[in-house]
Amino acid sequence: MLLEVNNLVKSFGGIRAVRDVSIGIQENSISAIIGPNGAGKTTFFNLLTGIYKPDSGTVTFDGKSLLGLRPDQVNKAGISRTFQSIRLFGNMTVLENVMVGMHTRLNISLWRTIIRPPSFGRQEEHVRQRATDLLRFVGLAGKGDELSRNLPYGDQRRIEIARALASDPKLILLDEPTAGMNPQESEEAMSLFRKIRDEVGVTVVLIEHDMRVVMGISEHIDVLDYGQKIAEGTPDEIRSNPQVIEAYLGKRASGTGSNAEANDDSAA
Amino acid sequence: MTTITARPQQAANWKDQLNRPSVALIVGLAYIVCAVFLAEVTDRSSLWYPLANMIAVPIFFIAPLVVVSLNITRWLKIALLVIMLGLIMPIIGVANPTYLEIAIQVSIFAGLALGLNIVVGFAGLLDLGYVAFFAVGAYLWAVFTSPVDTVFMINGWTLPGEAFFIMIAIGVFGAAFVGILLGLPVLRLRGDYLAIVTLGFGEVVRMLVRNLDSPINFTNGAQGLYGVGSPPLPGFAIGFTTTIASAFGIRVDNPDAIAGQLMFYVIAIITLLVIILVCSRLKDSPIGRAWTAIREDEVAALAMGVPLVRMKLLAFASGAAFAGAIGVIYASKQTFIDPESFVLLQSISILAMVIVGGMGNIKGVILGAMIITIVDLSTLSNLSLQFNNFRNAGMLDIPPALEPAKYQPLVFGLILVLMMLFRPAGLLPEKSRKLELQAEKEDPLALPTEEPLEDAVLVDTSTPEER
Amino acid sequence: MSTDTLMPERSGLLSPITSSPTWIRFSHTALYRYVIFPLGQIFVFVVGAALLLTVISYVIAFLFPEPRENINLVTQLNRQLPGMIISGISIGFVYAMIALGYTLVYGVLKFINFAHSEIFMVGSVSAFAILSFIGSLGGLEGWNPILLVVVTVALSAVLSGLLAVGIERVAYKPLRRAPRLVPLITAIGISYILQDVVRAIASLTINDFNLTYPTRDLDWIRNPILTLTFGEYDVRVRTTSVIIIIAAIIMLLALNYFVNGTKSGRGIRAISMDQTTAGLMGIPVNLMISLTFFIGGAFGGAAGALFGLNVGNVTPYIGFFPGLKAFTAAVLGGIGNITGALLGGILIGMIESFLNGILVYFPAVGIRYTDIITFGILIAVLIFRPSGLLGERVDEKV
Repeated sequence: MLLEVNNLVKSFGGIRAVRDVSIGIQENSISAIIGPNGAGKTTFFNLLTGIYKPDSGTVTFDGKSLLGLRPDQVNKAGISRTFQSIRLFGNMTVLENVMVGMHTRLNISLWRTIIRPPSFGRQEEHVRQRATDLLRFVGLAGKGDELSRNLPYGDQRRIEIARALASDPKLILLDEPTAGMNPQESEEAMSLFRKIRDEVGVTVVLIEHDMRVVMGISEHIDVLDYGQKIAEGTPDEIRSNPQVIEAYLGKRASGTGSNAEANDDSAA
Repeated sequence: MTTITARPQQAANWKDQLNRPSVALIVGLAYIVCAVFLAEVTDRSSLWYPLANMIAVPIFFIAPLVVVSLNITRWLKIALLVIMLGLIMPIIGVANPTYLEIAIQVSIFAGLALGLNIVVGFAGLLDLGYVAFFAVGAYLWAVFTSPVDTVFMINGWTLPGEAFFIMIAIGVFGAAFVGILLGLPVLRLRGDYLAIVTLGFGEVVRMLVRNLDSPINFTNGAQGLYGVGSPPLPGFAIGFTTTIASAFGIRVDNPDAIAGQLMFYVIAIITLLVIILVCSRLKDSPIGRAWTAIREDEVAALAMGVPLVRMKLLAFASGAAFAGAIGVIYASKQTFIDPESFVLLQSISILAMVIVGGMGNIKGVILGAMIITIVDLSTLSNLSLQFNNFRNAGMLDIPPALEPAKYQPLVFGLILVLMMLFRPAGLLPEKSRKLELQAEKEDPLALPTEEPLEDAVLVDTSTPEER
Repeated sequence: MSTDTLMPERSGLLSPITSSPTWIRFSHTALYRYVIFPLGQIFVFVVGAALLLTVISYVIAFLFPEPRENINLVTQLNRQLPGMIISGISIGFVYAMIALGYTLVYGVLKFINFAHSEIFMVGSVSAFAILSFIGSLGGLEGWNPILLVVVTVALSAVLSGLLAVGIERVAYKPLRRAPRLVPLITAIGISYILQDVVRAIASLTINDFNLTYPTRDLDWIRNPILTLTFGEYDVRVRTTSVIIIIAAIIMLLALNYFVNGTKSGRGIRAISMDQTTAGLMGIPVNLMISLTFFIGGAFGGAAGALFGLNVGNVTPYIGFFPGLKAFTAAVLGGIGNITGALLGGILIGMIESFLNGILVYFPAVGIRYTDIITFGILIAVLIFRPSGLLGERVDEKV
């Protein structure tokens, strides 16, 4: 178990956003976390990455606890993420965005930045090269010098993924990576996720609303509703789980339990 | 998301124009004419002198910046700069020390503006109390070398002038230390709050300096410290001065004083060059990229592993370090400092230089420093003089109360307001900065959504059947 | 801008009374909501602040009974206490009124109007001009004091309000969507412009920028309006202190009524919570914003006029320190919160008054440190509790 989350709880004022959630993620897998809007999925990611502090519960990653770590420390420990609303550094070039992602793996020294010994130049060259390689990996070869805010939406999502991969993570959290994509783009995204798992060896966890994507590539799915985990299992198991269907489509819909509904997009 | 096409044509335009041979030639000629004018013509009461001076001074001083922007080989650039700064400037300085003074002030404030630029321009932290670090450096040198009986004067012993260069190093670290001290509690605050807190700190430092003269005399309070030490004058300096004077037939009454000024000129220019080098190296490095990332989106930067507090402290400390070094030089040159040299207006002036010139852009910041300093030291007084000459010649009669030199705060305020209304990114903006500060204005309907409006909203074609 | 603290429901201690039907009926009457409750609130703040500072002072007096030779701090305190309290109240109200300008604008636009301190200054200079003008018509002695004060303060307030609206239209409105740095710099620029313009006008007209109020020598200004006797000590209460207190209370009540009881006031509150939606609901956003600036500026100007009457002479540069202190007050109370501005102003005024009274006896320190301590408070509040005493915390949604 690469990531083990046990009994995670988080409330904001009177709202219990995450209630007693326990999730396990296997190494080298692609998992998905799904659920209706407001179920607490992004909050869950924020708790994992240290943006929020959980009220109680444990988070163990690669054998070590993540509780109390700041987001940059979580990144250094090996977890990287993308955001639901794309948060690129819009006024930096595509290449620069990815280069920033490498920050934790670099030897950052004020002295060497000013004095510029040969090792500094070598590190900069390495950074550039790796960023270029990552851009090629996600399918953005040659676009390194464009201003990232000028790229179309789908490309921006890729930049975010390349940037997240730059820190050499063991686990990557993708928050609604295919939102706003047309079917062809979603297909390309899915094969990119598989590439990440297979060629780079990074474990992938997605928050997704697009059921085609979820069912298509997940090995394991956890379902959240109103902050609680209501189901987990393989895609087939989730597809026919009455509670899941009820959560998405309402009580009447769960009565028929037909496969067709679960295959359609969630009625968010 | 609406894609905004950058307007690269306009941004590059002025540079292209500049590089056309005809334009470059005109600029070069103008420079030579102005240089000659400044050296030769000294009759201030001649009718059009002030106006001519008002035009010549900016051209003369900004010319080196223009040279740097030209599209010529590096060696040619360096050669030209060496001639302009190393030969022509000293000659004019010997002929007319006022211009040497302007040159020194420009260098000092350009250095300060570059330091503030690291904090405001690179890292995006609004510091309104920057002058406090300047004061730290200045007072560090002053208390140890001034003959005033402060607590730092043990048995009447003061630091000799030779310690100057060591003190610059101490000033760097001392100011950086104060920067870290100030930064630690303050850097997690949001934009305007950070501005107000730093303003408060700057004022507190100034008031402390003004009041720490009793019961124990640390700073001699409002009376200030006089007789501040100088680095020793190199032997050849006086010889150099007299040689130039005789070579060009200039009458020099006080070679010592001018030699001293020349020495400070050299120190200031070299310091400025070092600062420029350090700034550009910082900018083009992982540290610089981390700062830009923080400026763009703190939360995303944090999630990507950028340690916010450490990076912000680094920016603060670096900026402070520059101010500390320059403070030592300033105190030494002025030979007298008091708390009034470090008022809020100074912090705002330095900020104005960064903003007017172009935040984040090294060349722009230097240009901003030049403009503000020249307006302050030369333009307004020249304008006053011109009105005076008009009055004496019986032409225009503008009452003395309307003398431009008295309206420095008004001019300053107008510059700030007009720049913010019409060119918030500065005169020489970084290309990306221009978009950053203007894009919002161009697109008033931009909704803060991520969903693109062109790409179809939800993924697709099939809809759940109605029940 | 949260004004719900002005509503009476939050009194747990008094529930037997508050749940009785007569009380419930009474507490909804206009008299209660717009007169009695706010007055009570002001009273509570003043008494509370006075008590707090008194206690602290006596504690200091016991810790340092003889800070200077032959000076017994406790006796000095006994003698000065009433005077300190009264001047604390009057300067506190002045700060509160200036603070209202900062807090109103911040609540609506999330913007710190740096130039507000100069609006205060313009108010005091306007009062000077008005009084000089009236004086030149035939002397000020014959005038009914109340009429004179009302006319002066009201005119100054209106002028300052209009100036604030003008500045907003010209310099802030075009920058409403720019990143926060930009209007902040603009405001700083406007500050310098105002200072220099006033100085220029003063030097062009009367050839001096130190403006002495013609009221300074009037009998009813110079003679204390009443003398209170506490045991062996006499306390002379200055007329101007009373004027400030009465004027401030009237204006605060009026503001409370406006913000909570009128349609425009509700409009302003709506805009401060969600500008876009308020606009979609039909509220004329630009008009409301201008109105906010007018009110804030009017308060600042009135404060300036009252301050000038109290102190007797003003310069173009008197805006900076009171402005910064009033800003401290606004932040201390909770920026964006009207009640907070009131509470903060009174606290800061009291603190300053007490510090000035006590530090005199500490020769090593002296009153020069009063300002430093006040700024120290500002810094401490911003670092440790940026939401202030009565403010709310807002977290960013990731």
